Amino acid sequence: MTSFLGRRIVSSAIPLVFVVLGVFCLARLTGNPVDLYLPLSATSQQRAEFSAAHGFDDSIPVQLWDYLTQAAQFDFGTSLRTGQSAATMVLDAFPVTLQLAGVTMLLAILGALLVGSLAAYRPNSLIDRIAGLLSMIAASIPDFWFAIMGVLVFGVGLDWLPTSGTLGGAEVWVLPIATLVIRPFGVLVQVVRGSMVGALSAPYVKVARSKGAGAGRVVFGHALRNAVTPVLTVAGDLTVGLVNGAVIVETIFGWPGIGKLMIDSILQRDFAVLQAAVLITAVTIFALNILVDVCHALIDPRVRQAVPA
Amino acid sequence: MLLTSACTVANSDAAGDAGSADGSTLRVVLTQEPPTLEPCESSTTATGVVVRSNITEPLIERDPTSGKLEPLLSTGWRQTKPTTWTFDIRTGVTFQNGQPFTAKDAAFSIDRAVNSNLACNVDGYVFGDEKLDVRAVSPTRLTVTTKKADPILPLRISFIEIVPRTTDTKAKVRIPIGTGPYAVKKWQTGVSISLARNPKYWGKAPAYPRATYVWRSDASVRAAMINKGEADITTSLDPMDATKDNSVAYPNNETTALRLDGREAPLDDIRVRKAIGMAIDRDGIIDALLAGKAKPAAQLVPPGVVGHNDDLAPPSYDVAKARALVKQAKADGVPVNRRITLVARNGQFAGIAETAEALQYEMARIGLNVRIRMADTATSLQYQLRPLPRDVGPIAMLVQHGNQAGDAAFTTSQYLLSNGPQSTFGTKELDRRIAAANALSGKARAKAFADLLAYQNKTVAQFAYLAHMRGLLGLSPSVRYRPNSATGDEMRLAEASPVKAGKH
Repeated sequence: MTSFLGRRIVSSAIPLVFVVLGVFCLARLTGNPVDLYLPLSATSQQRAEFSAAHGFDDSIPVQLWDYLTQAAQFDFGTSLRTGQSAATMVLDAFPVTLQLAGVTMLLAILGALLVGSLAAYRPNSLIDRIAGLLSMIAASIPDFWFAIMGVLVFGVGLDWLPTSGTLGGAEVWVLPIATLVIRPFGVLVQVVRGSMVGALSAPYVKVARSKGAGAGRVVFGHALRNAVTPVLTVAGDLTVGLVNGAVIVETIFGWPGIGKLMIDSILQRDFAVLQAAVLITAVTIFALNILVDVCHALIDPRVRQAVPA
Repeated sequence: MLLTSACTVANSDAAGDAGSADGSTLRVVLTQEPPTLEPCESSTTATGVVVRSNITEPLIERDPTSGKLEPLLSTGWRQTKPTTWTFDIRTGVTFQNGQPFTAKDAAFSIDRAVNSNLACNVDGYVFGDEKLDVRAVSPTRLTVTTKKADPILPLRISFIEIVPRTTDTKAKVRIPIGTGPYAVKKWQTGVSISLARNPKYWGKAPAYPRATYVWRSDASVRAAMINKGEADITTSLDPMDATKDNSVAYPNNETTALRLDGREAPLDDIRVRKAIGMAIDRDGIIDALLAGKAKPAAQLVPPGVVGHNDDLAPPSYDVAKARALVKQAKADGVPVNRRITLVARNGQFAGIAETAEALQYEMARIGLNVRIRMADTATSLQYQLRPLPRDVGPIAMLVQHGNQAGDAAFTTSQYLLSNGPQSTFGTKELDRRIAAANALSGKARAKAFADLLAYQNKTVAQFAYLAHMRGLLGLSPSVRYRPNSATGDEMRLAEASPVKAGKH
């Protein structure tokens, strides 16, 4: 298991390095941010001083070297926009997104396991057809539309929920989480259903049934354990998408998360914040991928053997 | 565990980020979180709308409606030498930290904003390259000396917010101390800024003891917050979200126009530039795309600003005449088929993408070849500011210019001077007229600017004007507030008060 883990860490770290370097170089190709941060009539001397003060007049390799040496000391620079430490801004925003992603995926997985399993238990039944239709709709709904409709219907029309914001009780979570959960739930229901249909027709399930095992034991005790591997893979991918930033939800509902921070830093050419945000999300996704691989290996010993040395 | 940790973000507070409708907190929704509350950055909209005249105050304030300068921390001012102005400093004023306000603080604040290396926005926007000699000659008297005589120096000084002389001079501050009616109580990054009434305020206490700012970038959500009673005021509503019950329109001193790069063919031909002006159906665009809220424009300087020319009218919408001008140019060898890039900035105003498409259609209709490039702010600034990009062909830039300073000098120095930071070309005669107008004051100044704006239209025609815009302010029926042309940049919370029952 240790050697498996080591191999996975090495193979997953390579894309991480490429992502960090790629973002660093591509961001600089968008130009010098001096126009955004200096007064309209700043003199060429002021522009040159600004560029020199922030290292933008150095070549990209020199800037990259400076970035890497400072990052090695956990110094990610200062935001051009706010004057705050880039690391502080990112570390303030990231937990918000992690909380949204965590709650969303917990609800999506639990809901999908239940609904997908029920649908698979009797293929082509009414429950299966309703679950299939709803999951298809859920997986296809544009999240920005769903979010705005949620605000107008439940926030303004029915007056059941706050329109947006983070301060308040459980009610402030409802619309953001509903918006985020709907697509992963729809996708996962389809995956669980497909995987469970195969598992429920496997010989070991027939044996369990012939021995008089009840429906609950057959579905959750035998079939689901064997059907969960593809669900884990897809859930991992969906979680990665959410960790990257739930931009729509963060923007519409005013949640100060990492996605909104990244978009703002891209638009404002705030390189230090962008790089710090990309680094922390890339590392988290790297760790998440390792976790998913380890879970796979623990569930299925064939996975451990399949990874080449 | 996740649900537990979730409480770190969503804790139990009663009524959302802006607080409850208790009548003692004024709840304002902005379009974005201010990047900083540094007073010397308050000429930028995102910072100024919170800071100016709320947390800090200037020596002089300009009445946005009449344009008249009014005393604030200075009780009087006069030109004591051709290049020197003297300001009398108000006594009995203290900063929010208890420090008394004197002429030394005023001198320090001007020096810090204009003469320091902080690269303050107000320095570039209002003073350009000019350096000032600022002296506190007594605790109640201040002199400001310029290299050349500056008849509108008091107007320029009105842009400088006063801070105590203990303020950092090496770096910009994030949370300021001022003399204003409110002080910053708490800035919860990413969520809200809370202000509390300044108990030491020298003037009349504002009606609301507290104010809270939150921000939502989506206009529908801002409108929903007003409709639901979660907020009292919001800036910048979209016309489609506005109703007569939740909003009020106001002139925001912004003017939209196509800036035509006269250095590149076919835009280097004045017939082509004038033809574009004739081809624009201003009334149609205003009715269909700007919700009928704007007014057709014939100049960059809006009404109410010194130098606005009341006699100028937009060119009549005449497609046949415009087409004939383009044909004439073509016959003289102007490459009218060369592709023009129409650059517009995403989100600059509601309906900008559709407006760009309408302009493209109208220019194509008179025989020009136009493509649209929608750009984010950083990219559009590369097209808008000098040094202008090279080898990009002819550019028609859809600009929105806001003159909040109240004097045409701030428009002409940027957009009409041959080497203005936002101008593509000009003429020596126009430059001479601008310099001459700048040296004048009073009615002569207003007339000189009005005349040169007419001259620009007739002989230079760098701009095809579209409209003097109007903003839409979201306003709860429970709040009394009258927006003015400065509201988008300087929302004075002390001018808001609760509507008493039965007096709506």
